[in-house]
Amino acid sequence: MKRTYWFGVLLSLSILVFSMGSAMADGARLGIVVPLTGPYGTYAEEMKRGCEIAAAEINATGGVLGKPVEIITRDSELNAGIALRRFKEMVQEDGIKTIGGTLSGGISTVVNEWACKNKALYMTFCHTSFPLGKENCGYGFTTGIIPYMSGVAVAKYSFENLGKTWMNISADYRWGHDELAAWLVTSDKMGGKFLGNIYTPLGTRDFSAYIPQIMAKKPDILVLSLFGTDLTSAIKQFAEMGLSKRLKIVCPKTAMAIAKECGAAYDENVYGAVTWYWTVQDYYPKARKFVNAYMKLYKTPPDADADSGYVATMALFEAMRKAGTVDDVDKLIETLEGQVWQYNKGPEGFRPCDHARTSSVFVVQGKGAKAEGWDVFKVISEVPYWQTLESCENNAKDYPYGQVKLPGK
Amino acid sequence: MFDLSWEIVAMQMIFGLALGCVYVLMAGGLSIIFGLLDVVNFAHGTFYMLGAYAIFVAVSLCGNFWLGLVSAVVIVALVGGVIEWLLLKPLYKRDPLYPLLLTFGVSICIPDIIKICFGLIGKVVPYPSGLMGAYMWGPVMIPKYRLFIIVLTLVVLISLWLFLNKSNLGMIIRASTRDSLMTQVLGINVSRIWTIGFMIGIGLAALAGAVAAPMVASIPDMGVEMTIECFVVVVIGGLGSLGGAIIGGLLIGQVISFVALFAPSWSNVAIFMVMAIILIIRPRGLFGEEGRL
Repeated sequence: MKRTYWFGVLLSLSILVFSMGSAMADGARLGIVVPLTGPYGTYAEEMKRGCEIAAAEINATGGVLGKPVEIITRDSELNAGIALRRFKEMVQEDGIKTIGGTLSGGISTVVNEWACKNKALYMTFCHTSFPLGKENCGYGFTTGIIPYMSGVAVAKYSFENLGKTWMNISADYRWGHDELAAWLVTSDKMGGKFLGNIYTPLGTRDFSAYIPQIMAKKPDILVLSLFGTDLTSAIKQFAEMGLSKRLKIVCPKTAMAIAKECGAAYDENVYGAVTWYWTVQDYYPKARKFVNAYMKLYKTPPDADADSGYVATMALFEAMRKAGTVDDVDKLIETLEGQVWQYNKGPEGFRPCDHARTSSVFVVQGKGAKAEGWDVFKVISEVPYWQTLESCENNAKDYPYGQVKLPGK
Repeated sequence: MFDLSWEIVAMQMIFGLALGCVYVLMAGGLSIIFGLLDVVNFAHGTFYMLGAYAIFVAVSLCGNFWLGLVSAVVIVALVGGVIEWLLLKPLYKRDPLYPLLLTFGVSICIPDIIKICFGLIGKVVPYPSGLMGAYMWGPVMIPKYRLFIIVLTLVVLISLWLFLNKSNLGMIIRASTRDSLMTQVLGINVSRIWTIGFMIGIGLAALAGAVAAPMVASIPDMGVEMTIECFVVVVIGGLGSLGGAIIGGLLIGQVISFVALFAPSWSNVAIFMVMAIILIIRPRGLFGEEGRL
């Protein structure tokens, strides 16, 4: 009798807990998968923090449809197979309809294809090419811009201000190739002279082997289509040899962490492109809220990856509020396509035809030994999206950058 | 394609030599540990990383690269000694898998501890003043810091040879490698010798990390690939052979340097191809004779 009584109590409690869980699960959720372990952990952590700060901000103003929002995070370990498995678990087992993340453009295109087949709304935070050509299947949105946009922005600045002859070192995968294509097209238009390209495998630590070739060619500009530890190692080693005093180094994608890791080596002869940098709060005061919230929690300012995660999360949850639904994916897509926001810089949105973020690109210059704390860049130019983003028709055909014959490929 | 002049070949050889020296230091340390203790140290790359962080801390505190370099090696060697004494020593009498698993666990724990203490963003170790830039020998550029690495490695190797072959302690270490039981029977505290040997091996790894720190991104995971490449060098040279580690390291440095010149995409794969070829021709490695220092 006593045993039956306690069994009944336990059963009731279990039902209560599960039903509470289900009720909580009815609230808006964004399931993100980012490479928290591995060489890009720094940037993945930035994305996650940006999402969490946005979620906290949404919850502070009443959540979505009267319920708090939640960010569920999983680690992709920078592996496409693991990333897909994590997304499948969230969508098929946990019932999450809106997913986000990855840091690798290559992985994002794989996830986008899967999201389209499984009718999940996917927000990617990284540079990605899935708005282009056949890869654009309607369920993905990017807050990380299409790679050619940053390449074009910084290439234009370079050919106008830094010189005409250029050489490129490319990480030998999709993103590196996309940046090289952007530079080749821009170089043709602006009278640049291409002197050669070196493909390096991802994870290259020693770039000194390429220095003799670079010195033999004597370019005005050395383009480093690299990121993460590859870029840090390259800049440090080129500075060691005094290369950055003989030519200008330009990085189609750079980050505050990279400049910090390079120290004095990331000097005024090193240029780069970012989608956002924290000191732009000086002329976009709305960004101060995000910067202050981030600094309060983490004692460092946010970087572009954090902004990307923040913007994606804010845009998504605000779309849920407007659409009056947390899981009607078609309605949410429709709402996001018409949405315009101004969070951390000027007005932007997702272009309806391809869901590309109409984002400006900032051209930044290193400060080297003159850097103070986290103020490692000087923002020298903001390039609006209409100067970099191709038309809907061109993107649908992946033209012109997808048609470029890359050297050695 | 560029013109392959003798200057470019000469410069590639110099860069390859400097790169090879880092591998020599790493692989030399691994060979000493394996030769003496029969322990495959999966955490060897972790101590390489610790060397980089130790020099960062030391230089931040004292402002002097040279003092920082010596301090980094000593501190990390002491850390290695503590780990060997407390964690490895109890496992020697057990299945050989146990020490291997322990070092694997260390290779996971320590980077995570570093991430908690120092964060994810890499640390900056500046080049020592006077070693930036390059000497010019005609049209050939000889980077000063790379030259320093080559000279330093040579000095360390000569010192190590003298220590192992001309000192009493070195003789005891070599004897322990050949026959630890007999050495113990002769009244030598072999357990202490093993700790000293382990510390020497770890010190070499730390030195490699400390000299690499100004050149690469000094991040908590920087030792992961280095461990794998170090094992390739040791396998090429022959497990437990210090001479083999030296030749293997120098060979791999040149392979990476010249493959990068002609086919950069293959530079990471090339070392494994070289290892495969050598093992097919000579399965024990170039100088493979287990336990020999």
